[in-house]
Amino acid sequence: MTDPADLPLDDGDQAILDRLAAVHAMLDPPPADLDERVLFAIALDSLDAEVARYRDQEIIGSGARGSERTHTITFDADSRAVMITITARPDSLVRIDGWLAPAAALQVELRLPEPAPPRVVTADPAGRFAFDGVPHGLAQLLVQPADGDTSPRVVTPAFTL
Amino acid sequence: MALVTLGSGKASTGPARGDRADRIGACLERARSGETAALGDVVRELNPLLWHVARAEGLTTEEAADVVQTTWLELLRRLHDIRSPRAVTSWLVTAARREAWRVRERSRRQVPDGAAQLESVADPDPAPGERLLSDERDQALWRHFHGLPERCRTLLRIVAQVARPDYAAVAEAMGMPIGSIGPTRGRCLAKLREMLLADPGWSA
Repeated sequence: MTDPADLPLDDGDQAILDRLAAVHAMLDPPPADLDERVLFAIALDSLDAEVARYRDQEIIGSGARGSERTHTITFDADSRAVMITITARPDSLVRIDGWLAPAAALQVELRLPEPAPPRVVTADPAGRFAFDGVPHGLAQLLVQPADGDTSPRVVTPAFTL
Repeated sequence: MALVTLGSGKASTGPARGDRADRIGACLERARSGETAALGDVVRELNPLLWHVARAEGLTTEEAADVVQTTWLELLRRLHDIRSPRAVTSWLVTAARREAWRVRERSRRQVPDGAAQLESVADPDPAPGERLLSDERDQALWRHFHGLPERCRTLLRIVAQVARPDYAAVAEAMGMPIGSIGPTRGRCLAKLREMLLADPGWSA
Protein backbone atom coordinates (compact mmCIF):
# COMPACT_ATOMS: atom_id res chain seq x y z
CA MET A 1 0.00 0.00 0.00
CA THR A 2 1.25 3.45 -0.84
CA ASP A 3 2.17 5.58 2.14
CA PRO A 4 -0.40 8.43 2.21
CA ALA A 5 2.49 10.83 2.79
CA ASP A 6 3.85 9.99 -0.66
CA LEU A 7 0.63 10.79 -2.50
CA PRO A 8 0.54 14.01 -4.49
CA LEU A 9 -1.11 17.01 -2.89
CA ASP A 10 -4.76 17.19 -3.84
CA ASP A 11 -7.69 19.50 -3.32
CA GLY A 12 -8.44 17.93 0.06
CA ASP A 13 -4.96 18.88 1.26
CA GLN A 14 -5.37 22.33 -0.17
CA ALA A 15 -8.66 22.73 1.68
CA ILE A 16 -6.99 21.79 4.97
CA LEU A 17 -4.15 24.24 4.42
CA ASP A 18 -6.56 27.00 3.44
CA ARG A 19 -8.60 26.45 6.62
CA LEU A 20 -5.39 26.42 8.63
CA ALA A 21 -4.41 29.80 7.17
CA ALA A 22 -7.89 31.13 7.94
CA VAL A 23 -7.79 29.91 11.53
CA HIS A 24 -4.37 31.45 12.10
CA ALA A 25 -5.60 34.69 10.55
CA MET A 26 -8.42 34.73 13.09
CA LEU A 27 -6.45 33.69 16.16
CA ASP A 28 -3.11 35.37 15.55
CA PRO A 29 -3.47 38.15 12.99
CA PRO A 30 -0.56 40.47 12.24
CA PRO A 31 -0.93 43.92 13.80
CA ALA A 32 -3.21 46.13 11.72
CA ASP A 33 -0.41 48.62 11.10
CA LEU A 34 2.29 46.10 10.13
CA ASP A 35 2.09 46.83 6.39
CA GLU A 36 2.12 50.55 7.04
CA ARG A 37 5.16 50.28 9.30
CA VAL A 38 7.11 48.18 6.83
CA LEU A 39 6.19 50.36 3.86
CA PHE A 40 7.27 53.46 5.74
CA ALA A 41 10.53 51.85 6.87
CA ILE A 42 11.62 50.68 3.42
CA ALA A 43 10.73 53.89 1.57
CA LEU A 44 14.39 54.88 1.52
CA ASP A 45 16.15 56.48 -1.40
CA SER A 46 19.05 54.06 -1.41
CA LEU A 47 19.34 50.35 -0.81
CA ASP A 48 22.68 49.92 0.88
CA ALA A 49 22.04 51.12 4.43
CA GLU A 50 23.27 49.06 7.35
CA VAL A 51 20.28 47.95 9.40
CA ALA A 52 20.35 48.69 13.12
CA ARG A 53 18.48 46.21 15.32
CA TYR A 54 16.12 47.27 17.99
CA ARG A 55 17.85 46.16 21.18
CA ASP A 56 15.65 47.22 24.05
CA GLN A 57 13.30 49.77 25.41
CA GLU A 58 13.03 51.17 28.87
CA ILE A 59 10.17 53.21 30.23
CA ILE A 60 11.53 55.79 32.62
CA GLY A 61 8.67 58.06 33.66
CA SER A 62 5.43 56.65 34.98
CA GLY A 63 3.27 59.13 33.17
CA ALA A 64 1.47 59.85 36.39
CA ARG A 65 0.01 63.29 36.90
CA GLY A 66 2.13 65.93 35.29
CA SER A 67 5.34 63.97 35.33
CA GLU A 68 7.08 63.73 32.01
CA ARG A 69 6.82 60.38 30.41
CA THR A 70 10.00 59.26 28.73
CA HIS A 71 11.29 56.10 27.25
CA THR A 72 14.63 55.04 25.91
CA ILE A 73 15.20 52.89 22.85
CA THR A 74 18.53 51.43 21.81
CA PHE A 75 19.35 50.30 18.29
CA ASP A 76 22.49 48.34 17.46
CA ALA A 77 24.24 48.21 14.12
CA ASP A 78 27.60 46.57 13.49
CA SER A 79 29.31 49.90 13.10
CA ARG A 80 27.43 52.01 15.63
CA ALA A 81 24.73 52.07 18.30
CA VAL A 82 22.02 54.71 18.43
CA MET A 83 20.25 55.39 21.69
CA ILE A 84 17.31 57.75 21.92
CA THR A 85 15.21 59.08 24.76
CA ILE A 86 11.73 60.17 23.79
CA THR A 87 10.05 62.67 26.07
CA ALA A 88 6.38 63.52 25.75
CA ARG A 89 5.76 67.25 25.95
CA PRO A 90 2.60 68.78 27.45
CA ASP A 91 1.57 70.03 23.99
CA SER A 92 1.33 66.47 22.63
CA LEU A 93 4.55 66.77 20.67
CA VAL A 94 7.69 64.91 21.68
CA ARG A 95 11.35 65.65 22.09
CA ILE A 96 14.02 63.17 21.02
CA ASP A 97 17.46 63.24 22.64
CA GLY A 98 19.95 60.89 21.09
CA TRP A 99 23.49 59.59 21.41
CA LEU A 100 25.70 57.88 18.90
CA ALA A 101 28.26 55.36 20.08
CA PRO A 102 31.04 55.46 19.18
CA ALA A 103 30.60 59.22 19.39
CA ALA A 104 31.02 61.21 16.20
CA ALA A 105 29.73 64.49 14.82
CA LEU A 106 27.64 62.87 12.13
CA GLN A 107 24.56 64.01 10.30
CA VAL A 108 21.40 62.42 11.67
CA GLU A 109 18.16 62.42 9.72
CA LEU A 110 14.73 61.91 11.26
CA ARG A 111 12.30 60.54 8.69
CA LEU A 112 8.59 61.12 9.29
CA PRO A 113 5.61 59.93 7.26
CA GLU A 114 4.70 62.02 4.26
CA PRO A 115 4.03 64.85 3.79
CA ALA A 116 6.26 65.88 6.71
CA PRO A 117 9.75 66.63 5.39
CA PRO A 118 12.69 64.82 6.99
CA ARG A 119 14.62 66.77 9.62
CA VAL A 120 18.38 66.79 9.66
CA VAL A 121 20.71 67.73 12.51
CA THR A 122 24.39 67.21 13.16
CA ALA A 123 25.49 65.46 16.32
CA ASP A 124 28.05 67.20 18.49
CA PRO A 125 31.52 65.67 18.91
CA ALA A 126 30.22 63.71 21.90
CA GLY A 127 27.66 62.10 19.59
CA ARG A 128 24.67 63.91 21.06
CA PHE A 129 21.81 65.14 18.93
CA ALA A 130 18.22 66.27 19.49
CA PHE A 131 14.96 66.82 17.64
CA ASP A 132 12.28 68.86 19.35
CA GLY A 133 8.61 69.42 18.60
CA VAL A 134 8.17 66.15 16.76
CA PRO A 135 4.61 64.89 16.22
CA HIS A 136 3.51 61.49 17.49
CA GLY A 137 3.47 58.68 14.98
CA LEU A 138 6.00 56.68 13.00
CA ALA A 139 9.60 57.80 12.76
CA GLN A 140 12.94 56.43 11.58
CA LEU A 141 16.53 57.57 12.01
CA LEU A 142 19.33 57.54 9.46
CA VAL A 143 22.90 58.22 10.45
CA GLN A 144 25.12 59.37 7.59
CA PRO A 145 28.76 58.34 7.47
CA ALA A 146 31.41 61.01 7.99
CA ASP A 147 32.71 62.93 4.98
CA GLY A 148 35.14 60.80 3.08
CA ASP A 149 34.00 57.64 4.87
CA THR A 150 32.72 55.15 2.33
CA SER A 151 30.91 52.95 4.85
CA PRO A 152 27.14 52.80 4.43
CA ARG A 153 24.78 54.88 6.48
CA VAL A 154 22.96 53.28 9.38
CA VAL A 155 19.17 53.02 9.32
CA THR A 156 16.92 52.11 12.25
CA PRO A 157 13.63 50.28 11.93
CA ALA A 158 10.57 52.48 12.09
CA PHE A 159 9.46 53.16 15.65
CA THR A 160 6.40 54.82 17.13
CA LEU A 161 6.70 58.12 18.94
CA MET B 1 -13.86 39.52 8.48
CA ALA B 2 -10.70 37.50 8.62
CA LEU B 3 -12.39 34.98 6.40
CA VAL B 4 -13.05 37.48 3.68
CA THR B 5 -9.37 38.23 3.39
CA LEU B 6 -8.44 34.58 3.53
CA GLY B 7 -6.29 33.63 0.65
CA SER B 8 -6.16 37.15 -0.70
CA GLY B 9 -2.50 37.09 0.22
CA LYS B 10 -1.99 33.82 -1.55
CA ALA B 11 -1.68 33.70 -5.26
CA SER B 12 -3.94 31.56 -7.30
CA THR B 13 -2.55 28.19 -8.13
CA GLY B 14 -4.24 28.23 -11.49
CA PRO B 15 -3.19 29.86 -14.74
CA ALA B 16 -2.30 33.09 -12.94
CA ARG B 17 0.76 31.44 -11.46
CA GLY B 18 3.14 32.72 -14.09
CA ASP B 19 1.56 36.16 -13.88
CA ARG B 20 2.29 36.28 -10.19
CA ALA B 21 5.95 35.46 -10.66
CA ASP B 22 6.15 38.03 -13.46
CA ARG B 23 4.46 40.62 -11.31
CA ILE B 24 6.78 40.06 -8.37
CA GLY B 25 9.74 40.03 -10.72
CA ALA B 26 8.71 43.40 -12.15
CA CYS B 27 8.30 44.86 -8.64
CA LEU B 28 11.78 43.69 -7.69
CA GLU B 29 13.25 45.19 -10.84
CA ARG B 30 11.72 48.57 -10.09
CA ALA B 31 12.86 48.38 -6.47
CA ARG B 32 16.39 47.57 -7.62
CA SER B 33 16.46 50.78 -9.59
CA GLY B 34 15.64 52.66 -6.38
CA GLU B 35 11.86 52.72 -6.44
CA THR B 36 11.26 50.92 -3.15
CA ALA B 37 7.58 51.88 -3.21
CA ALA B 38 7.27 49.25 -5.94
CA LEU B 39 7.64 46.66 -3.19
CA GLY B 40 4.29 47.67 -1.70
CA ASP B 41 2.32 44.82 -3.20
CA VAL B 42 5.01 42.28 -2.39
CA VAL B 43 5.10 43.51 1.21
CA ARG B 44 1.33 43.27 1.59
CA GLU B 45 1.33 39.81 0.04
CA LEU B 46 4.18 38.33 2.06
CA ASN B 47 3.82 40.10 5.42
CA PRO B 48 1.40 37.51 6.84
CA LEU B 49 3.87 34.76 5.92
CA LEU B 50 6.75 36.52 7.68
CA TRP B 51 4.56 37.30 10.65
CA HIS B 52 3.73 33.63 11.12
CA VAL B 53 7.36 32.62 10.65
CA ALA B 54 8.33 34.92 13.52
CA ARG B 55 5.39 33.92 15.71
CA ALA B 56 6.03 30.23 15.11
CA GLU B 57 9.49 30.79 16.58
CA GLY B 58 7.81 31.82 19.83
CA LEU B 59 8.27 35.59 19.67
CA THR B 60 5.89 38.08 21.26
CA THR B 61 3.74 40.17 18.94
CA GLU B 62 6.04 43.18 19.43
CA GLU B 63 9.14 41.15 18.70
CA ALA B 64 7.55 39.51 15.68
CA ALA B 65 6.50 42.86 14.18
CA ASP B 66 10.05 44.03 14.66
CA VAL B 67 11.51 40.97 13.00
CA VAL B 68 9.24 41.40 9.98
CA GLN B 69 10.38 44.97 9.57
CA THR B 70 14.08 44.19 9.96
CA THR B 71 13.77 41.38 7.44
CA TRP B 72 12.42 43.74 4.77
CA LEU B 73 15.11 46.32 5.52
CA GLU B 74 17.75 43.62 5.10
CA LEU B 75 16.14 42.56 1.83
CA LEU B 76 16.84 46.02 0.41
CA ARG B 77 20.56 45.39 0.80
CA ARG B 78 20.28 42.04 -0.95
CA LEU B 79 18.01 43.03 -3.81
CA HIS B 80 20.81 42.97 -6.30
CA ASP B 81 21.65 39.35 -5.46
CA ILE B 82 18.11 37.98 -5.44
CA ARG B 83 16.99 37.66 -9.01
CA SER B 84 14.04 35.30 -9.13
CA PRO B 85 10.62 35.86 -7.57
CA ARG B 86 10.73 32.35 -6.10
CA ALA B 87 14.07 33.09 -4.47
CA VAL B 88 12.63 36.15 -2.74
CA THR B 89 10.08 34.13 -0.78
CA SER B 90 12.60 31.60 0.46
CA TRP B 91 15.18 34.29 1.15
CA LEU B 92 12.64 36.20 3.25
CA VAL B 93 11.59 33.09 5.18
CA THR B 94 15.20 32.16 5.90
CA ALA B 95 16.09 35.71 6.93
CA ALA B 96 13.02 36.09 9.15
CA ARG B 97 13.83 32.84 10.95
CA ARG B 98 17.40 33.93 11.52
CA GLU B 99 16.21 37.28 12.88
CA ALA B 100 13.70 35.54 15.10
CA TRP B 101 16.40 33.28 16.59
CA ARG B 102 18.57 36.29 17.22
CA VAL B 103 15.77 38.08 19.06
CA ARG B 104 14.85 34.98 21.03
CA GLU B 105 18.41 34.39 22.16
CA ARG B 106 18.71 38.01 23.20
CA SER B 107 15.50 38.03 25.22
CA ARG B 108 16.59 34.84 26.98
CA ARG B 109 19.87 36.42 27.94
CA GLN B 110 18.06 39.38 29.46
CA VAL B 111 16.04 37.24 31.81
CA PRO B 112 17.89 36.60 35.09
CA ASP B 113 16.29 33.27 35.96
CA GLY B 114 15.03 30.46 33.82
CA ALA B 115 11.40 31.56 33.82
CA ALA B 116 11.27 32.99 30.33
CA GLN B 117 13.26 30.09 28.97
CA LEU B 118 10.68 27.66 30.22
CA GLU B 119 7.94 29.78 28.75
CA SER B 120 9.54 29.94 25.36
CA VAL B 121 10.11 26.21 25.23
CA ALA B 122 6.64 25.23 26.34
CA ASP B 123 3.77 25.98 24.05
CA PRO B 124 2.72 29.38 25.41
CA ASP B 125 -0.94 28.52 25.11
CA PRO B 126 -1.82 24.92 24.40
CA ALA B 127 -4.89 24.80 22.15
CA PRO B 128 -5.21 28.57 22.46
CA GLY B 129 -8.41 30.07 21.32
CA GLU B 130 -10.34 26.95 20.45
CA ARG B 131 -13.28 28.59 22.19
CA LEU B 132 -12.83 31.64 19.95
CA LEU B 133 -13.61 29.56 16.90
CA SER B 134 -17.32 29.29 16.28
CA ASP B 135 -17.12 26.88 13.37
CA GLU B 136 -17.10 23.26 14.45
CA ARG B 137 -14.79 22.24 11.61
CA ASP B 138 -12.32 24.95 12.59
CA GLN B 139 -12.42 23.71 16.18
CA ALA B 140 -11.66 20.18 15.04
CA LEU B 141 -8.87 21.38 12.80
CA TRP B 142 -7.33 23.45 15.58
CA ARG B 143 -7.53 20.61 18.09
CA HIS B 144 -5.82 18.10 15.81
CA PHE B 145 -3.32 20.65 14.59
CA HIS B 146 -2.25 21.15 18.21
CA GLY B 147 -1.86 17.43 18.59
CA LEU B 148 0.92 17.43 15.98
CA PRO B 149 4.60 17.58 16.88
CA GLU B 150 5.94 21.11 17.06
CA ARG B 151 7.98 20.93 13.88
CA CYS B 152 4.90 19.78 11.95
CA ARG B 153 2.88 22.65 13.39
CA THR B 154 5.56 25.11 12.36
CA LEU B 155 5.86 23.67 8.86
CA LEU B 156 2.12 23.56 8.18
CA ARG B 157 1.48 26.96 9.70
CA ILE B 158 4.06 28.53 7.40
CA VAL B 159 3.26 26.54 4.28
CA ALA B 160 -0.43 27.42 4.65
CA GLN B 161 0.58 31.04 4.11
CA VAL B 162 2.23 30.58 0.75
CA ALA B 163 1.14 29.81 -2.78
CA ARG B 164 1.31 26.16 -3.76
CA PRO B 165 4.21 26.49 -6.22
CA ASP B 166 6.30 27.78 -3.31
CA TYR B 167 5.61 24.95 -0.85
CA ALA B 168 8.76 22.96 -1.52
CA ALA B 169 11.02 26.03 -1.55
CA VAL B 170 9.55 27.30 1.71
CA ALA B 171 9.74 23.88 3.37
CA GLU B 172 13.38 23.79 2.38
CA ALA B 173 13.92 27.27 3.79
CA MET B 174 12.38 25.95 7.01
CA GLY B 175 15.09 23.31 7.12
CA MET B 176 12.69 20.50 6.29
CA PRO B 177 13.80 17.59 4.14
CA ILE B 178 12.77 17.50 0.51
CA GLY B 179 9.37 15.86 0.19
CA SER B 180 8.17 17.10 3.59
CA ILE B 181 5.53 18.86 1.56
CA GLY B 182 5.09 19.35 -2.17
CA PRO B 183 4.85 17.80 -4.63
CA THR B 184 3.70 15.03 -2.27
CA ARG B 185 1.60 15.51 0.82
CA GLY B 186 4.35 14.75 3.26
CA ARG B 187 4.13 13.23 6.73
CA CYS B 188 2.83 16.22 8.68
CA LEU B 189 -0.11 16.92 6.41
CA ALA B 190 -0.83 13.20 5.96
CA LYS B 191 -1.04 12.84 9.73
CA LEU B 192 -3.32 15.85 10.15
CA ARG B 193 -5.54 14.70 7.31
CA GLU B 194 -5.84 11.23 8.78
CA MET B 195 -6.90 12.60 12.17
CA LEU B 196 -9.38 15.00 10.59
CA LEU B 197 -11.01 12.34 8.45
CA ALA B 198 -11.56 10.24 11.56
CA ASP B 199 -13.20 13.18 13.37
CA PRO B 200 -16.96 13.57 12.85
CA GLY B 201 -16.57 17.27 13.72
CA TRP B 202 -14.53 17.72 10.55
CA SER B 203 -16.28 15.37 8.21
CA ALA B 204 -19.77 16.54 9.12
